[in-house]
Amino acid sequence: MSESFTAAHGTSLVGGAEAHTARSWPNLLATIAATGAALALVPLWVGSSRVLTGVAVLGLAFGCYAIAFNLIFGSTGQLFLCVGALAGVGGYGAAILADQVGLPIVASILLATLAASLIGGLLSWVAVRRSLGVIFTGIVTLIFALSFENLVLGVSSVTGGDAGNPIAAGAETFLRARIPPYYVMLGLVLLFLLVHALLRRSYIGWAFRALRDDEVAAELAGVNVTRYRVYAALAGSGMLGLAGATYSFTAGRVNPTTFGFAQVDVVVIVMLAFGGIGTLLGPILGAVVFTVIDELLIELGQLRLVAYGALIIVLFLWIRRGLIPTLRSLLGGGDDPASRPDTTPGRAVSTGPD
Amino acid sequence: MTASILDGIVLGLQFGVLASGLTLVYGLGGVLNLAYGQMAVISALVVLLTMDAGVPAVPAALLGLLAGGLLGWLFDATILRPVYRRKGEARVLLSLLLTLGVAFIVDGYLNWAYPLRGLSLRIGGDAVEILGVRMRMGSLAASGITLVVLAVLFYVFRYTRLGRAIRSVIENEQGAKLVGIDPPQMLRLILILSGVLAAVVAVTRSMVAPVNVQAGFSLTVLGLIVTVVGGLGSITGAFLAGLVLGIINSIAAAYIGTFLSLIILLVAAGFTILIRPAGLLGVRE
Repeated sequence: MSESFTAAHGTSLVGGAEAHTARSWPNLLATIAATGAALALVPLWVGSSRVLTGVAVLGLAFGCYAIAFNLIFGSTGQLFLCVGALAGVGGYGAAILADQVGLPIVASILLATLAASLIGGLLSWVAVRRSLGVIFTGIVTLIFALSFENLVLGVSSVTGGDAGNPIAAGAETFLRARIPPYYVMLGLVLLFLLVHALLRRSYIGWAFRALRDDEVAAELAGVNVTRYRVYAALAGSGMLGLAGATYSFTAGRVNPTTFGFAQVDVVVIVMLAFGGIGTLLGPILGAVVFTVIDELLIELGQLRLVAYGALIIVLFLWIRRGLIPTLRSLLGGGDDPASRPDTTPGRAVSTGPD
Repeated sequence: MTASILDGIVLGLQFGVLASGLTLVYGLGGVLNLAYGQMAVISALVVLLTMDAGVPAVPAALLGLLAGGLLGWLFDATILRPVYRRKGEARVLLSLLLTLGVAFIVDGYLNWAYPLRGLSLRIGGDAVEILGVRMRMGSLAASGITLVVLAVLFYVFRYTRLGRAIRSVIENEQGAKLVGIDPPQMLRLILILSGVLAAVVAVTRSMVAPVNVQAGFSLTVLGLIVTVVGGLGSITGAFLAGLVLGIINSIAAAYIGTFLSLIILLVAAGFTILIRPAGLLGVRE
């Protein structure tokens, strides 16, 4: 029994503080609405520049990815290292369905979303069935991500290979205008936040928390571990596909680096670590801060990687719980982390047997 | 076909050495070093810069091995310290994230400071005919070195006191402590060894094809795939998996194409995990 005790607490890097505070519905809706209102003002600053608006749209797309990854990893502890690949299934899938098969844009986005969702669900189902654990789930999904990258490069007659493909469909619509794409992506961000909030408040959210806190105890209490992990993966992967597909149409082209492991997954992990894994608003806060920093450091070129590497190390060593929980405990309020030892990684380790 | 198989063996021996370094560190310390490929790249760069300064290839290569060992020691002394304070999955996860950070720092700096540089060692001499296939001296020298390294590893781990001590820690850390073995010291040794092995890969690889400064991530991934297929913590597994995957990769590359051959490697690794995960995962019961 002591072994499973360590195993359950071993993943406490994932432990989010916010999940434990029950918040009322009006409060949650108001928080999401306030976030939406604040982000809706961004085009007032950057709207006059085509480049900066593009950066902001990409930032929101990353916000979507981070929310989805947070749902899969933060809520159910499945380390999906194929965020970019699943978004790429959405992006490439929708582009191919619209341009080469000739489907309407909406239909191709929906089909590609469904495909991403099913692939994510399948990966999760396999991982849970074979009880792979955090690390091996990470390796299997990383293998899927790298296979996808090589597939895109390999079948260049369909995907355009290294250079990527322009997307012809939707060229004359609002999707290629300057400002409207921003609000389309913002709509997705708010939708995803709402879905995540809904899930957390429901029976499913209760099961998620039980699962993450102690898998064995959750199973004993009657939580169907397989089912809820796969639900989270289906929902999160669908979000990834939808965001990837929508972003591709606004960008007007797809290429491998838009969905690469180094360009997407690593960035999403940094964003989430920054904002706070397992929190509702952490992913979007992380995405906004990261996008701004990235734009400020653009002069540095390759050296930006050095900054991100250092950031990863600092985040995981010192600000383990992310900005939102850290800020909240600094500001006081009723959320004293010391009263919940099992969500503080440093403490959780000492509770394990030596 | 024979040519592809022979190329595959040359490649596979290097895969074996590459994976040995990763698998030992994981088996012994529960540490997944995602900056492993960067260790190899830094060692290659040390060799390159030393040779630029006019030093002959052999002392430069030895200096590269020394640099690899120093890197391993440095990892053990700095970035892995907070990792060692954790246990189980939290330890693997933290080691993975922190070394990923290190990998980014190294990649970013090297791409900025030495863009497009790469090490390639030219071994002179005429091509030799083996089984009807003309093999370049570079490939033969590389295979010779990797074979010797693997043989030494086998001997040390199987027959020496040190090797037995290390294997006992992999098997049961508590038990090893009780009979007077110091696990942290073994871990430091293994990290130094893994750095040297990374450098060996860099040097031997550069005799066959250039090792570029951007190669770090793909080296790590290759090592990870071979490690996973071979079984964590096992040198024999790493050696066999390296050979098998090297041959598969060469044949697939010759007949199907480079990108798709990598997919075949990846799929092979994926299936191995799914078919026998318990045999591959050292820390799980």
